[in-house]
Amino acid sequence: MKGTSPFVFGVLIVLGLIVFPFYWMLVTATTPPDQLMIETPTLVPSFTRLGVFVEVFSAVPIASWLTNSFIVAAGTTVLCLILSVLPAYALSRFRFRGKAMLALGLFVTQMLPEAMLLVPLYAVFRSLELLDTLTGLIIANAAFGAPIVTWILKGAFDAIPQEVEEAARIDGCSRFDIVMGVALPLVAPTLAATAVIAFFHGWNEYLFAQTFINAADLRPASVGIAGLVGEYAVPIHLVMATGIIYTLPSIVFYLIAQRYVVSGLTAGSVKG
Amino acid sequence: MQRPMSKRRGAALEGSPWTPYVFIFPLVAYLFAILAGPLLQEFWISFTDTSLMRPDAGQFIGLSNYRFIISDPNFHQVLIVTALYTAGSVVFGIGLGLGTALLMNHDFRGRSVARALVTIPWAAPSVAVALIFSWMFNAQYGIFTILQKSLGLASGAENWLDSTTFALPAVLIATVWQIFPFSSVVILAALQGVPSEVKEAAIIDRADRLNVFKTVTWPTIAPTVALISLFTTIWSLRRFDIIWILTGGGPLGATNTLVTELYREGFIYRDLGTAAAIGMIGLLIASVVTLLYYGASRRAEMRARGAA
Amino acid sequence: MTGMVQSNRSFGRGWRSGAAFKAALFAGVAMASVAAHSSVAAAQDKTTIEFAASVLADPSRGPIYQKWIDGFNEAHDDIEVKAVGIPFSSFANTVLTQLGGGQGPDVMRLDLDVFMPAASAGLLMDLDDTIADGEYDFIGPDQYMKLDGTRYGVVFSMTPYVLLYNADLAKGVPETFEELIEDAKAARTDSVYGYAFRTTMNQAAGFWQDLCNFVYGFGGEWADAEGNLTINSPEVVAGVAAYKEMYDAGVIPVGATSSEYRQMFWEGKVAYMIDNGGVAGLLANKAPDLPLEAVPSPFPHPEQGMVLAALAVNANSKNKDAATEFVKWVLSPEAQQALLTIPGEVYAGTKVARPEGDTETAKTFEKVMEVYTSQADYGTPQLVPGYADETPQMQQIILEEVVRVLKSGDDPQEAMDRAQSQIERRVLRR
Repeated sequence: MKGTSPFVFGVLIVLGLIVFPFYWMLVTATTPPDQLMIETPTLVPSFTRLGVFVEVFSAVPIASWLTNSFIVAAGTTVLCLILSVLPAYALSRFRFRGKAMLALGLFVTQMLPEAMLLVPLYAVFRSLELLDTLTGLIIANAAFGAPIVTWILKGAFDAIPQEVEEAARIDGCSRFDIVMGVALPLVAPTLAATAVIAFFHGWNEYLFAQTFINAADLRPASVGIAGLVGEYAVPIHLVMATGIIYTLPSIVFYLIAQRYVVSGLTAGSVKG
Repeated sequence: MQRPMSKRRGAALEGSPWTPYVFIFPLVAYLFAILAGPLLQEFWISFTDTSLMRPDAGQFIGLSNYRFIISDPNFHQVLIVTALYTAGSVVFGIGLGLGTALLMNHDFRGRSVARALVTIPWAAPSVAVALIFSWMFNAQYGIFTILQKSLGLASGAENWLDSTTFALPAVLIATVWQIFPFSSVVILAALQGVPSEVKEAAIIDRADRLNVFKTVTWPTIAPTVALISLFTTIWSLRRFDIIWILTGGGPLGATNTLVTELYREGFIYRDLGTAAAIGMIGLLIASVVTLLYYGASRRAEMRARGAA
Repeated sequence: MTGMVQSNRSFGRGWRSGAAFKAALFAGVAMASVAAHSSVAAAQDKTTIEFAASVLADPSRGPIYQKWIDGFNEAHDDIEVKAVGIPFSSFANTVLTQLGGGQGPDVMRLDLDVFMPAASAGLLMDLDDTIADGEYDFIGPDQYMKLDGTRYGVVFSMTPYVLLYNADLAKGVPETFEELIEDAKAARTDSVYGYAFRTTMNQAAGFWQDLCNFVYGFGGEWADAEGNLTINSPEVVAGVAAYKEMYDAGVIPVGATSSEYRQMFWEGKVAYMIDNGGVAGLLANKAPDLPLEAVPSPFPHPEQGMVLAALAVNANSKNKDAATEFVKWVLSPEAQQALLTIPGEVYAGTKVARPEGDTETAKTFEKVMEVYTSQADYGTPQLVPGYADETPQMQQIILEEVVRVLKSGDDPQEAMDRAQSQIERRVLRR
C-alpha cells in the first residue's frame, strides 16, 4: 500500500507539529528585532538575516558554553560506556548471588530526582575536589546515565546466541577478551544507541551544572542559556539564535546515529 | 516471535565464580559512592532540621518534617498536580508515540526522512525547549496567542503559562512534544517484531484493520508499551528543568510537582530537612507505581501463559 | 513476551576488532579527561580569587564590569580577580548552596536578601579588622552591612526605584497614583502598553521587588520595629490593592517577563515603568536615543524599595588576604569613581562625586540619575524586617496570595490575612 492519502495526511500533521517549534525558533531568530514585538508576526524566516548566527557569538559567550557542553557530553558518554559494558554482560550471561538486587538497584536510580541528591553530592564533590570542574559534572551525570546504558546493553547481550562465544572460549580466551573481542562488536548498534542517550544526557544536564560550576569559562550551554530567560535584556532574536545553535549539534549527532539508535534500542529495551 | 530459550545462561557458569563480581564491581562501587551514599544521607536529613545555610548542623527532630508535609494543604495540591502531570505525560506521550509509530510503520515515500524528522524533539535540550515554548506562549506576541486570537478562541490577553487553568496543559504540551518521539522510536522498533506473514494472512482474510491491530499487533507490542509507560511514569515523577524554567511551579501551584516543591523547599526556603522528606515521599510513590506495574505485568504474563 | 527484535543484519556490523575498539575507547577517556582538566589550570605564580556577581552574567553589562575589574588586575601583579557571573534567577540558590557547603567564590556581590542570612549563618568573613569605620565616608545604607555591631560587608552599590518614562509616549508626568493609572491608560494604544511590572512566579525575585515598591509607597511595611508581622495592615493591603488596580487597568503586558518588557520599553512599546538605576543604565545602553526621563514614584509615601548589594568575603575563602585586598581596592576613590561611570550605578559604598557626562546622551542620562540620587534616602530594603532568614519563604507565601488577588479577584484584605496566618503557621512553626 504505497502512499495512500490519509496516511500521508497524518504523517504531515505529525511532522508539522514536530517541526514547528524548531521552525518558529528560526523565524524568531532571523526576524529583524523591531518586527518581533508586534501583533502581526512574520511567518517565514528571512534568509538574508542569517548573519544573526554570527552576531550571537559576540553577544553571548556561546562558543565557550558549547565547548564545555561538548566536553561534558563526550566525557559522560565515555564514562557511561566504560562503567556499563561489563556489568551489562554479567547481568546477561552469569547467574550470581545479588543479581536481582543489582537489577533492582539500577532501576531505582531512575527514580531519584537530581535535586534531592544535590546537597549530599555537593559535600562528596567538595571532599574529592571535584567542584568547579567539568570532570565533576561528568562523574555526576554518568551516575544517572550508566544504569540505563547497562540496562539497554544487557538486553542486547541477551540477543546474542551463546554459541557465538563458544568458539572463542574453546580457544582459551578470557571472559574479558570474549566481551571485548566477540560480544561487544556484535552489539555495536546498541552501543551506538546508548552512546547517543548518554551524550544527550550530558549535553542537556542543567541542575548539577548550575550548582557545581562557578567559573564562567567552565559553564556549559544549558546553564548559560537558562540564564538568558527572564531577567537579562538579551533581545529575543539573539536568545532564539543561541537556542538553535545549542540544539543543532545534538540533532545533527542524532541524525547521524539515528539508524543505530533505532536498531540499538530495539535490541536493548524491547523485551518482555 | 519466540525468544531463544536455550539454556545459554546455565551454560555460562563455567570459569571463576568471581568473574561476575569483578565485572560488576566498578559500577556498583561507583553508584554507591555517587548515589547510594548521598541517598542514605538524604534519608537521615529528612529526620532533621538541616538548613541549606548550615548543612552540617542539623538536629534530629523525628518525624516532624513528615508530619508537617502531610498536614499541609499545599502538599495535597502538589500530589494532585504531580498525578495529573504524570498521567498526562504518560497518556499523551505514549498515545502520540504509539500513533506515530503506527503511522511510520506504513510504507510510504519519504518514510526514512519522516522517521528521522519525527524523533528530533528528543534530541532537543530541555532548556531550549523551555525557551521556545515560553516565547510561543507569550501573551502579547506569542504565535500561540496570536493563533488563538485569529481563531476567535480567546481575547488572547492571557499567557497560558501564567494561567491557573492552562499552565499545566501548557507545560504538558511542551513536555509531551519533547518525550513522545522516544516512545515512538521504541514502539516502532517493537512493531518490527509483528510477524508480517500473519498480518498479510489477516489482510487476505479481509479482517479489518482494527481487528488486525487487536489480535496481531497489540499483543506483540503490549509489553514494550507497558515498559515504556513505566519509564515515562518514573521519569515524569522526577522531571525538573522544563517545568522550573517555564513556570517555576506556578501560578498558585498549578504546575508545582513533587520535584519543583522539593527544590523550592530546599533551595528557596533553604529547608533541606523538609526537602529531603518530600524526596522520600516521592521515592515511595515511585516504588509503589513500580510494584503495581510488576504485579500487573506478572498477572498478564501468567494469563498469556495460561492461554498458550 | 515479545522476543528479541534485533534483526540479524546488525550482527557483524560495527567495530569488528575488539582491540581497535578498546583503543578508541581509552583514547576517548584520555582526551575527555585532559580536556576537562586543562581548562581549570591557572597561572601558578599568582593568587587567583573568584569574584561572583549576577551583573557579571548579564551579557550586555557584564563586559563593562569586567573592564572595571581589569583595573584591579592591571594594578596588582600578585593577585588576579576572576569574574564569576551567576544568573540572577539562580544566584541566591547557587551561592548559598556553595557557601553552606564551605565552598564558593572568595568575594561576592550579594543582594541584601542573600547577604543577611549568609552573615547571620556565619558564612561571611568578619571585616571589622579590615575596614575601619572612620577611614571611609560611607553612605547611609552602610548600616545594613553590620549584624549585631559586626561588619560583614561593604556596600557595593545601591539604587532606589523611580518612575521611568518614555517622553514620546507619556501623556503626562504623574504626581499621584491615580494620575499614573490615567496617564498609563491614555498612553495605551494597540501597540503601546501604558505600564509594565512582574506578576508571575517564575520571576518571584523580581515580582517581590515590584510589589515592595507599591507596598512601601502606600506606607506599608512587612513587620514593625518590634518584629510583629504587619502583612495584613491597612497600608500593605492598600499597596496590594493598587497593584491589582494597575493589573486590571488594561495597560500592562500581562505575563511578560522583565527581559521581554524591558526590551519593549527600549523599543518604544511601554510608556511608564518603575525600576531601579541598573535598569535605567541598561535602557540607556540599549537605546541611547530613547527619550528616557524620570520622576520620583508617584505614591502617597516617598518610600520605595532599593537594591542594596553588599561586597562580602567568604568566611571559608582560602585567599582572605587577597580577597580583602580587593575589597579595599573597591573602596578606593579611583575604583569608586570608576564604578559610578558604569551606566546605572547610582551609589557606590562611599560618598564620591558622580562623574560629569561629556556627551549629550550622557548628560541627559545624568538627569535621570539625579532623580535616583534624590530618592536615595527613601530606599528601604526589600526584606521582612527582623526576618532576614525567613524572608524567602514569607515572600513566596505573600506573592502567592497576591497572585490570588490578581488572577482570582480575591479581596486584598482577606488575601493578606491569609498570608499572615499562613506565615505564622508555616514559617514560624520552628
